[in-house]
Amino acid sequence: MKTDRIFGLCVIGVALAYIASAAQIQVGFLSDPVGSRTFPYLVGGVALACALVIVLRPDEEPGWPPLATFGRIAIALVVLYGFAVALRPLGFLIPAAVASAAISYLISPRPVAAVLCGIGISSLLFAIFKFALGLSLAPFGRLFAG
Amino acid sequence: MDLWANLAQGFAVALTFSTLMLAVGGCFIGTVIGSLPGLGPSNGVAILIPLAFSLGLDATEALVLMTSVYYGAMYGGRISSILLNIPGDEPALMTTLDGYPMARKGRAGDALVLSGVASFVGALLATIGLMLLAPILARIAFLFGPAEYFALYLLAFCTLGGLASKNQAKAALAAAIGLGLAMIGLDNQTGIPRLTFGEIHLMDGIDFLVAIVGLFAVAEIFIYMESHGRNSAIGVKLERITVPVRDIANSTFTMLRSTAIGFVAGLLPGAGASLGSFLAYMAEKSVARDGATFGTGNPRGVAAPEAGNNAAAGGALVPMLTLGVPGSGTTAVLLALLLTLNITPGPLLFSERPEVVWGLIAALLIANFVLLVMNVPMVKLFVRILSVPPWILLPGIAMVSFGGIYSLSGSAFDLILMIIFGIFGYLFRKIGVPTVPIILGILLGNNMEDSLRRAMVISDGDWTYLFSSGISIGLWVAAIAGFVAPLFLRNLLTRPGRIHG
Amino acid sequence: MKSGFEKGIAAGVLAGAMSLSGVALAAECIAPANPGGGWDFTCRTIGKIMYDIGVVDKPIQVTNMAGGGGGLAFSHVVNDRNEDGDVIVAASSATATRLAQNAYAGHTADQVRFLGAIGADPGIIAVAADSPHASLVELLDAVKADPSSVTFAGGSAAGGFDHLKVLMALGRTGFTDITRVKYIGVDGGADAITQTIGGHTQAMTGDMSEVVGFLKSGDIRVVAVFTDERVPGFEDIPTAKEQGIDIVSVNWRGLYVPKGVSDADYRKWSDGLARVATSPEWAEAMVANGLAPFTLVGDEFQGWLDGVIGEIEMLSRDIGVIQ
Repeated sequence: MKTDRIFGLCVIGVALAYIASAAQIQVGFLSDPVGSRTFPYLVGGVALACALVIVLRPDEEPGWPPLATFGRIAIALVVLYGFAVALRPLGFLIPAAVASAAISYLISPRPVAAVLCGIGISSLLFAIFKFALGLSLAPFGRLFAG
Repeated sequence: MDLWANLAQGFAVALTFSTLMLAVGGCFIGTVIGSLPGLGPSNGVAILIPLAFSLGLDATEALVLMTSVYYGAMYGGRISSILLNIPGDEPALMTTLDGYPMARKGRAGDALVLSGVASFVGALLATIGLMLLAPILARIAFLFGPAEYFALYLLAFCTLGGLASKNQAKAALAAAIGLGLAMIGLDNQTGIPRLTFGEIHLMDGIDFLVAIVGLFAVAEIFIYMESHGRNSAIGVKLERITVPVRDIANSTFTMLRSTAIGFVAGLLPGAGASLGSFLAYMAEKSVARDGATFGTGNPRGVAAPEAGNNAAAGGALVPMLTLGVPGSGTTAVLLALLLTLNITPGPLLFSERPEVVWGLIAALLIANFVLLVMNVPMVKLFVRILSVPPWILLPGIAMVSFGGIYSLSGSAFDLILMIIFGIFGYLFRKIGVPTVPIILGILLGNNMEDSLRRAMVISDGDWTYLFSSGISIGLWVAAIAGFVAPLFLRNLLTRPGRIHG
Repeated sequence: MKSGFEKGIAAGVLAGAMSLSGVALAAECIAPANPGGGWDFTCRTIGKIMYDIGVVDKPIQVTNMAGGGGGLAFSHVVNDRNEDGDVIVAASSATATRLAQNAYAGHTADQVRFLGAIGADPGIIAVAADSPHASLVELLDAVKADPSSVTFAGGSAAGGFDHLKVLMALGRTGFTDITRVKYIGVDGGADAITQTIGGHTQAMTGDMSEVVGFLKSGDIRVVAVFTDERVPGFEDIPTAKEQGIDIVSVNWRGLYVPKGVSDADYRKWSDGLARVATSPEWAEAMVANGLAPFTLVGDEFQGWLDGVIGEIEMLSRDIGVIQ
């Protein structure tokens, strides 16, 4: 109940913001009867209507996990974000090893297994991407390039 | 007969030891690429183009390799859809709906075999259709102007309601979210960027692969962490793998119907494999007596989208070869390959370069049989994935997704976008907002808007233009029927299905 | 929704394949799009010929960098590679159009140095075989009499080069009400032809290479080609000039280098490009790809390009693509 109400209200806010940004879209002078704002308005409108229904007729509570679980998900998020940012400067191997070890540890807290898992995944995937598929992935990135 | 002579010529070109080896290799690589989230058939083909050059392959060999990879990836996409609830590529999206529930029940092997057979049927019949009718079918593309395309997309969105059984408002909201995201980027009809906030990475719009990988793969990791693997197929006790003869027999007509729908969707350059598999699934759901069990692991819900998307992949070759119009990302890459081989697809390709066309058709037939033979025994190998301990499998999935997407785009922006999609994917799953309509919205939103606006430009804003042809009226009727009266649609389509049941 | 990955994948792939083949420190040609398109062709073909005729002593490595309609590659070169003498970037009319329309996130044409163009895909206007319009003049007269009676289809978005070509041609006839001209941007030239043959649109604007197959099959007629003289191999197609409409509009294929390169490097590349232009290999490649000769190198090209960009900028203001 509560979740859906909050969610619906958030969607209403986002939909209004979306419609407001749609109103800022530059319009050309070309002959274009529908125009570049109509569809975004419609989409925003539909979202708004759906959100109202969700607020007025909410579903049952989804059953949220305890706070500790959210903590772990948040850590996973930070790890993935760090991985995304570190890829360019540090290359694939080290960030991938660290990130997969961290996620592995979050799922099953056994440090040695996690570290081995990280190293294994990182080197195996690098080999697959680089040598089997021929994709471009820098192994170590700029910092180590000298 | 001419046809047999042509086909014999095609096989003479395509059936040598080295090409057969290329077909086997291509099918294998394609299957692997298709099954990796973030790498789809178009990428698979693009990946191997340089390889084709560095191996010094001639035109036929290159085509055999590429079509094998293409079909292989179409087959492979279903594997991660079924086992992990992560579509390996966008046409395999619909296969998650029933494939994954089957896997959760321990029937991953059955689902994989069944979908392999369905893929085979769809692709084989589509190839035959291409072979017999391509020059005639090409004309269908001429009949579809903006008004007809708009009605077609409308049909897709109108039937969406039938997809979500629980909360229609949330399904509609999901579609709106997808459409809203699709609006981001350069506006095709004015050349002016919309909703990009000056960010150059958003100029081309949001990539649906980023959205798919985020909403499915990244979200799956969070879901697993929360539930400690309850409700996951990972680690489920697997049933012994047999060929599910009964499911296959029960799905015969499903496969045939879905093949027809998928093939026609493939013929239309603006529609493509994703729409083909979606419409095949929705039609089957409304036809089936047990339509209500679609989404809970109904085998026919696995057969329909797989037959549909593989048939669409074959159908999409028709406009590509005869008009030079690529109907999908993959055919666009294949088209590029043909051009680099100095083969210009177009209305004269069939008469001017018969050896290429028939060699290609022979290659498709070969690839299909290779894939069937390769895929069914390999199911035993595939399902082992579910026995990999989650503390290895999940970080592996994350790294495959991130590494794959990064090595393609080289942009951290896409990865961060993917993480954001992952967060929302998790929240949406908890709240009960279905993610499939979001992807459909992103995939089809621009096409839908563009076709409406093109139609209105052509007609000077006269709305009646939208209903000015028999085809568009037919599609409007179907769309309205699909929206308001699923029962009506059921009666319309159910006839061939009565035989079994 | 177009997948950047379809484009991007190739980038990675090609770079990866190249790095595997052990080519180190070779010059690099950036194709700002996916393989198979015009920019990719430019890099691959010119790069290969440069190596074959000895302009460079190592094979040129092709990197595909798709995104922002070439904008990502442009800003990469401006921001990260400004003094790199070993990089060349493929360019075409689309590059000029987008620069003129400020579609590269604030970057301008003077932030790089253009080497030149050595070949061009002639602009054309085509109609369905059964169209009532026999010539370009008749077609444009129909537009002038009633702009709503003719819709043009083209492979670029509105405001793109295919669209502007039509507006330029109309402008030459003294027609000024260009915002009323109906144009729909579809997914590529072949799609535009399909729409025109199907009778959904009345005319197609695009490049010669896009229509060759349909021309031979008799589905369409090309009413004018926008070149100085008739194109070899297509002698029966009249130019716009012959019909009294003074327009030359081609989709040129060329290269640019970073702004900060030494004059020696610039000369090395522009001389190399000029040598490619006169090579038999290039002549052959042009025939195979439906290109007509169009050679302008160095300052001469820069001057011509400035004029083109100026005209596009003006037109774009008139139709509201830029403000």
